Parts: sequence; structure tokens; C-alpha cells
Amino acid sequence: MAEQLYNAVFIGSIYALFALGFALVFSVLDILNLAHPTVFMLGAFIALFVIGTLGLPWFVALPIAVLVTGLFGIVLDRVAFAPLRRRGAPALSSMISSLAVTLIVVRLVELRYGGDFITFPAGAVPAFVFRVGDATFEGIRLAIVVLTVALMLALTYVLRRTQLGRDLRALAENPRAARLLGVNVDRAIAATFFVSSALGGLAGVLLAFAYNTLDSKMGVPLELRAFTVMVVGGMGSLPGAVIGAYILGFGEVASLVYLPTELRDAFAFGLLFLVLVLRPTGLLGQKSPDRV
Amino acid sequence: MRSLAAVGLASALLLAACGGGTTTPSGNPASATVAAPKPDIKIGLATAKSGAANFYNPQQSNGALLAVEQINTAGGIAGAKLQLIVEDDGSVRDQGITAFKKFIEQDKVVAILGPTLSAVAAGAHPVAQAAGVPVIAISNTGLGIVGKCDYGPCDWIFRASLGEQSAVPETVKAATQKLGLKKVVIIYGDGKFELDDLSIFKEAFKANGVTVTKEIAYTAKDVDFAPFVTQAKGETPDAIVASSLAGAAGKILDEVAKQMPGKRVIGGNGLNSAALLSNANAGLIVVGTAWSKASTDKTNTDFVAAYKARFGTDPDQFAAQSYTAVNVLADALKRSGNATNNAALKKALEGVSSLATPLGAFSFTADHDVKQPTFVMTVKDGQFTPFQ
Repeated sequence: MAEQLYNAVFIGSIYALFALGFALVFSVLDILNLAHPTVFMLGAFIALFVIGTLGLPWFVALPIAVLVTGLFGIVLDRVAFAPLRRRGAPALSSMISSLAVTLIVVRLVELRYGGDFITFPAGAVPAFVFRVGDATFEGIRLAIVVLTVALMLALTYVLRRTQLGRDLRALAENPRAARLLGVNVDRAIAATFFVSSALGGLAGVLLAFAYNTLDSKMGVPLELRAFTVMVVGGMGSLPGAVIGAYILGFGEVASLVYLPTELRDAFAFGLLFLVLVLRPTGLLGQKSPDRV
Repeated sequence: MRSLAAVGLASALLLAACGGGTTTPSGNPASATVAAPKPDIKIGLATAKSGAANFYNPQQSNGALLAVEQINTAGGIAGAKLQLIVEDDGSVRDQGITAFKKFIEQDKVVAILGPTLSAVAAGAHPVAQAAGVPVIAISNTGLGIVGKCDYGPCDWIFRASLGEQSAVPETVKAATQKLGLKKVVIIYGDGKFELDDLSIFKEAFKANGVTVTKEIAYTAKDVDFAPFVTQAKGETPDAIVASSLAGAAGKILDEVAKQMPGKRVIGGNGLNSAALLSNANAGLIVVGTAWSKASTDKTNTDFVAAYKARFGTDPDQFAAQSYTAVNVLADALKRSGNATNNAALKKALEGVSSLATPLGAFSFTADHDVKQPTFVMTVKDGQFTPFQ
């Protein structure tokens, strides 16, 4: 039982880590960035490139991948979102343009690495396992759990207590008013995309390390879940997204343990449905635009 | 794809052009009756050069190409050269159908090999069935490819790829004997391939007196496999069965190695993947395969050497199967006596019997399915090796 609890915490952490970046862009800019799973995948493949092709160790690959995906986020905004924003295009247009970026990047990665899943070179990934009685714990998994909570706290702190956070909150409320108040809107948007994508990239690298496997579609199964936990946690609330992620993780594992396997998804998503019926704005959601 | 087809076409034109100047069989160049060269015998190969299954290439194309080259060098089919026309099926049903239509209507091929995926075959095979053109499936292992097909009669379809109904029972039998299995847990995915495998595994374990104590389902959306293996561990099984594709199988292998040290993972064709060879825990795998590179049969060692000499890399199972299919077709063409008569070719294919191929002695069953040995394998030093 303790092992399954640990499994649930880990799964919740994966969902949360992925959802954080996704929720950040949505909460500040009202954009559903459908390229987020691609950024996640890109982080893993950049790490593979640094380790496999450049022959550098994982602790160098990790920051490089995070930095490059962060910069990719800024480019993504300039290419896929900024032109639409300037013309006041509807939200659907930016979803389509982020999908287009996804298709292009996935194809480019497949041209280089193929469509099948691949692994890191032998011994290149941090592997550290210890046992407590009958249970097994892995260093990388514990790191993911700790990092997820730490990142959520850090992001919440930045948004609440720093100048950048105040700028972002002003931007989330009203971009035009924020500009009039002297907020450097372009810089704030670039910062949002940088942080969001860097988080996505970090999640991708850590997950690829944890499983020692990566493929061009590795972000796809997480996308629907990230969207779900965002809705349940409260659209625009980062702590809400993290709590939603843990609820989903626990729900999935509990249903595996206690229910016939066919009912697993129905149970997990039924639980989320129940939350929404009781609290339509999500667990930590607010009705006013006072988000972030 | 186009380049290969273009090379094929160019060489055909060149052969046709050169053919005009050859001497008659009598060896008398002055003879007034110069026999026209025999037209090429065209074979279509629909294969996934792009899309989700693109990793089966170039091996699948190369195997067929090598066989065609060898047969032509040895004199062709009663003096006529084989011409291989390769089209990309894009790993998708519609593109597979388009390729089959082109082969039949435009290229007028005598037979078609492919397509790569079973799901694409379900769309493309009916096209050939309706046109009465023989097909040899070279990598479709699912149910309903030959024998009983969802789309109706499929008597023009043959299969040279070992189906799961043949491979899985052999794997289970070998694993039960060598590992002394009493009870197992099956972890299975929700795709068609995985569910088909699940039913075949259950039947095979029953036949071998092994109890399946629990069946645990995962979905294509699942990311982490630790909870499934933890759940399986609670049953204290003698081995885990992974009815899954390679991606999920890799994660199951890692979890079994961590949570249940010493236990093996028995799987179907999904585990028969080169991508799993680099997995640190691939040594736990027990899987039935259609081909073994290590087989010392002379036809196989000759094939491996020729492939390596021609393409600079080792062949894989998909190369061995497409190579075999072309040789099976050539054997039938030689015996049919008339390359343009589809019905005669079909009958000759049905008569293929114990043909020496890299897959072992090759025959077709009454249902047009392959009859060949199953190689039960594990992984050692990054290579599939016989499970002993």
C-alpha cells in the first residue's frame, strides 16, 4: 500500500510539473498553448542531443535543455502568437497556430531521430535506487516529487512578491491598462513564455531520465490530463493545478487498486467531474479576472 | 520511394533497350527471327517509408530489393527479370489503398507485398482481393489478415509474417517448461493488437496448465507503469506477461527489474523490437520471433552475409521476411508457368512447400498463413539470442 501511495505521489508530480507551464501561459495570457507537449518533448530530445551527440554528461544537458526550450518559448510566441495578438485574432486562431508549430517540430524531430521510441546511451542517465524493506525508491523520482512542490512554491512567490509577478498580474487583468501603467508588456509576455517553456522542457528531461525513454509523441498523453487538472484546480490558479494533478494521480492509482481495470478512467475522471459539480470554478478558481 | 521506382523503371528501359541487340537462343546473330525480350515481371511493395511505422524501413525495402537482385542475377524467372516497384504507404490506411490501386491499375503488377501495418492492410488488402491480385503480407501479425477476414473473403491474401496465433503458444510452451511457470499476471494495453494478444496468451497458458491470476489493463494514455507492476507484484507471480507494444514494454521491463528482481517478462511481437535492445533490462524478455540472426541454417547465413555486403548493416526480421516473401513469390512464379495468369500464380503460391528460406522451411497453410518454425528468444549483449 505504501508503495502505491508513493506511485500516486509520483504520478501526481508528473502531471503537476507538466501542467505548471501550461497553466502559467493560460493564466497570464489566456492562451491555450497546444505546443506545450511539443516543448516538453523538445526538452527531452535536446538533452539526448547534448548527451548522445555532444557526449556531455546529464548534469550539463539538463540546464542546456531548460535554457534552449525557454528560448524556444520566446520564439514560439513571436512566430505563432504575437502576430495574431497584434491583429486581435480570436483565441481559436492561436490554438491552431500552436498546433501548426507542433506538427512542424514533431516532424523535424522525427526526421532526425525517427518515429519510434529511443533511449539514452547506456549509463548516461542518473540512476540511483535504494530499498526500504520491500519497497524500491529511485533518486530521479524523488527529485521530481521534491522539485514539483519547490517549483510551485517558487512560482507562486515570484507572482505574488516580485516586480515581474506584479507586471504579470497586471497583464493578466488588462494588457492595455498594464501598458498605460508603464508595464513593459512585451518583456512580461516574453518572460511568461520563457518560464512556461523552460518548465515544460525541464519536465520533459526529467521524465525522459526517469523512464530512460523518449519519443516524438511523449507529450501527447499528458496534454489532456494537464488541461483537466487546470480546470479542476481552477483555471488560472497554479497551486490549484498542482492540487488537481495530485487528485488525478491518487484517483488513478486508487481505482487501479480497488476497482476492475475497465472502470479506472471512469473513476478518475468521475472524481474530477464531482469536484466541478461542487465547485464550478475549480478548487482554487476565482470568478473575477483576479487570477495568477 | 520514387527514386527506387525510378531506378527500377530506368533499369527496365535499359534492359529493354539492350534486349533488342541480344542474340537469339540459337546463338545466331544473323537469324532473321530475333526473339523479343521477355517483359519484366512487376512486383509491388507497399511499405511504411514515412509515418508512425517508418522505423521498419529501409530494412523492409532492402530485404525485397536484395532478393530481386539475386534472382535477376541468377537468370530471373524463365528468362524474365523481376522488377520491384516500391511505394510509400505512409503508415496510414488511405495511402496504403492508393498504393495498391496504383500497383494494380497503373503498374499492372503480378503480385503485391505489404503494407507494413496490420491496420493499413485492413484497408489495402480488400483492393487486391477485389481485383484478384495475389498479396503476400510481410509484416502483419494481427488477427484477420488471412483466413477469416472482417471484410469478407480474403483468398487472394497470403501471409509470410508469423502471426501471434502461431508465435505466442510456442513462446508460452518454452517459457512454461524452462521457467517452471505455475502462475502469471498479464499486463495488457487497450489497442487491438494488445487485446488480440491477451486472448491468445490466455488460451496458451490454459493449454499449458498455468494460472493467470490477474489481468491488469492500461490505456494508451498511461504514462507511468509503476502502479501496474506493484499491483502485479501483490499476486507473487512466477513471471509477468506484457501484452503490449515496445514503448510500454520498455517501461514494464524497467519496473519489473526494480520491483520484482529475477522475474522474466514474457511478451508477444510487440517485444520483438530492435528499439528494446538498448534497454538495460532487455535480458528479462522472452519472446517468440519469426527469425533469428543466429540461426546457422545455410540459407540464413548466406542471406545475412549478402545483406551485409550489399547494405553495410545487419538485416533485421523485417528484412528477412520481405526477402523471404520475394523468394516465395519467385518459387511460385517459376512453377506457375505463366506470369500473367493471376489464378495460376495463386494456385502455385498455395503449393509452396518446405521452401528453404532464412525463416526456416516455409509453407503456406490451407488458410494461406505462414507455416514456419518459431524462434523463442531473449536478449543478451544487445542482441536477440535463443532462449535456453
